[in-house]
Amino acid sequence: MIEKKIIEIAFHGRGGQTAITASQLLAEMAYESGFKDAISIPIIGAERRGAPIQAFSKISRDAQIRSYSSVTDPDFMLIFDTTLLKIPRVFATIKEGVILIINSNHKIDFNNNLQKNVKIYMVDATGISLKYGLAIEGFPILNIPMLGAFAKISGFYGLDIMEKVIKKKFGSRAEKNMKTAKDAFETVKEMI
Amino acid sequence: MSQKEQEIKFIKGNVAAAYAARSAKVQVISAYPITPQTTVVEKLSDFVDSGDMPAQYIKVESEHSVMAALVGASIAGTRTFSATAGQGLLYMSEMVHWAAGARLPIVMTIASRGIAPPWNIWADFTDVISQRDAGWLISFASSHQEIYDSVLMAYKICENEEVLLPMFVAYGGFVLSHTSKPVIIEPDDKLEKFLPPLPDEKGWPHIFIDPERPMMHGNLIMPSGFYYEFRMKIHDEMMKSTHIIKQTALEFEKIFGRSYGNGLIQEYKIDDAEVALINIGGLALQAEQAVDELRQEGYKVGSVRLRHFRPFPTEEIINIAKKVDVIGVVDRDTAFGSPTGGAVSSECKSALHGTGIDAIILPIITGIGGREVSVEQQKEEFKKLIKLKETGEFPQDMIHGTLWDGILEVK
Repeated sequence: MIEKKIIEIAFHGRGGQTAITASQLLAEMAYESGFKDAISIPIIGAERRGAPIQAFSKISRDAQIRSYSSVTDPDFMLIFDTTLLKIPRVFATIKEGVILIINSNHKIDFNNNLQKNVKIYMVDATGISLKYGLAIEGFPILNIPMLGAFAKISGFYGLDIMEKVIKKKFGSRAEKNMKTAKDAFETVKEMI
Repeated sequence: MSQKEQEIKFIKGNVAAAYAARSAKVQVISAYPITPQTTVVEKLSDFVDSGDMPAQYIKVESEHSVMAALVGASIAGTRTFSATAGQGLLYMSEMVHWAAGARLPIVMTIASRGIAPPWNIWADFTDVISQRDAGWLISFASSHQEIYDSVLMAYKICENEEVLLPMFVAYGGFVLSHTSKPVIIEPDDKLEKFLPPLPDEKGWPHIFIDPERPMMHGNLIMPSGFYYEFRMKIHDEMMKSTHIIKQTALEFEKIFGRSYGNGLIQEYKIDDAEVALINIGGLALQAEQAVDELRQEGYKVGSVRLRHFRPFPTEEIINIAKKVDVIGVVDRDTAFGSPTGGAVSSECKSALHGTGIDAIILPIITGIGGREVSVEQQKEEFKKLIKLKETGEFPQDMIHGTLWDGILEVK
């Protein structure tokens, strides 16, 4: 699908929505599924719940990844919270050809402000997470359903790889997580 | 616990440091948390708690006590480890000097961060550079794998009876500490081939705590006594450790198959290069990406990873200057009031003094306090060197003879 040597993914979430963990898991899943190299780059400041959070993954099928810098021209953007789209620096990175996966249960009107060839997919990650009781102190955990949706859209790794990595990381909690992954994999759809 | 097979783990740089301490069969860890190092000692606490690592884990009340505890444990003849950063290293400083003065082979990783005020927790090597004259060997890692590998090499170098000095393995906070990459964790049989045996009951040859062999150490010594001579010996053996570092890098490559140049520096496409950049830490690896991209555009550029700052690779820097006419030396650290403002560039210039080599050194300071440095920015640095070579013109916007690259305009 994408011919670039190094594929770059940007994560935008709010503190507590697990966007940083998502960037680590995505890089690891890509690596496990045969990509030659992968890196996860979280942008860390004074963290607090609800504050805008950025993280990046870079994955490469054959070249070594040697850059540690953040991603300014992503191939994919995973938006954990639709309110983040109103932040100018987030919106500015929605460049031509980018693929967006947005956590939303309804269509978002961009008022024709988007660049050319921007593809937008939506998945109700919050609804899925709550449906399977994947929440900490009432806050829905969004990383696994978002990565399930990304698996479907990108084709970079399958549910089998997700299960392998999730089992390794989360042990007994893997089953519940995988249910959200499968649900998101099946229900993610293009926002038309 | 044993590691039977080689394993590739997808881990943070900090976790790679913790795995290295486990692989090196460290016996005593003392720990105090500080960002961005904390996950090193957290992971080690997991290892010890789960029985995965048969080590003593000492929780102390400050960084000063971290090193005091390691000094005691090391004098008693054990392999020791800790990690710190920034203010923590500064607070520890008195005991840092003590560890070197007592000639203890302690290894500590530094997830380097900017020094306050104002508060800063991001990549900046001023913390470790501030301990330049303490008598520790100082090495920099440019990748996650290199963190793991450098800690293994550190024990072999430090515990060599011709060295018996401590070592810092430094890497950029967040740039390497919190990013994740695949890291090879080596199996026990290979590790045993490479690492020296753990110290036996007799401990180190020169200093021990043993009722059968009473010894006084750390006592007051009159000016007519051997204090002066002890200092000379630290310098003498630090200088000679360059041979041990080279030998260790060779042995490491033979057993594990990963090369780190000659141990002191690692060259990248230098032989036919017209200009070169010398970097420390993660920027050194990233510069190699810049080299490849510029070579595709037809520019003959090369890059050098400075792996050791102490001992300083004087001979290697001279050799590079013989091959390359224009060299940019990049400091991700500040040395206020020094000839160039950066520690590494000052020393590179000093290395060439009196050699008759007329290579030009462009001192560069960049990435201070974690300011991001992109591949594009590094490519621009190379292009400035090319312009310097072609026209003899230094960049316009130098500050006291140094290019502060990426600095914002200030009044």
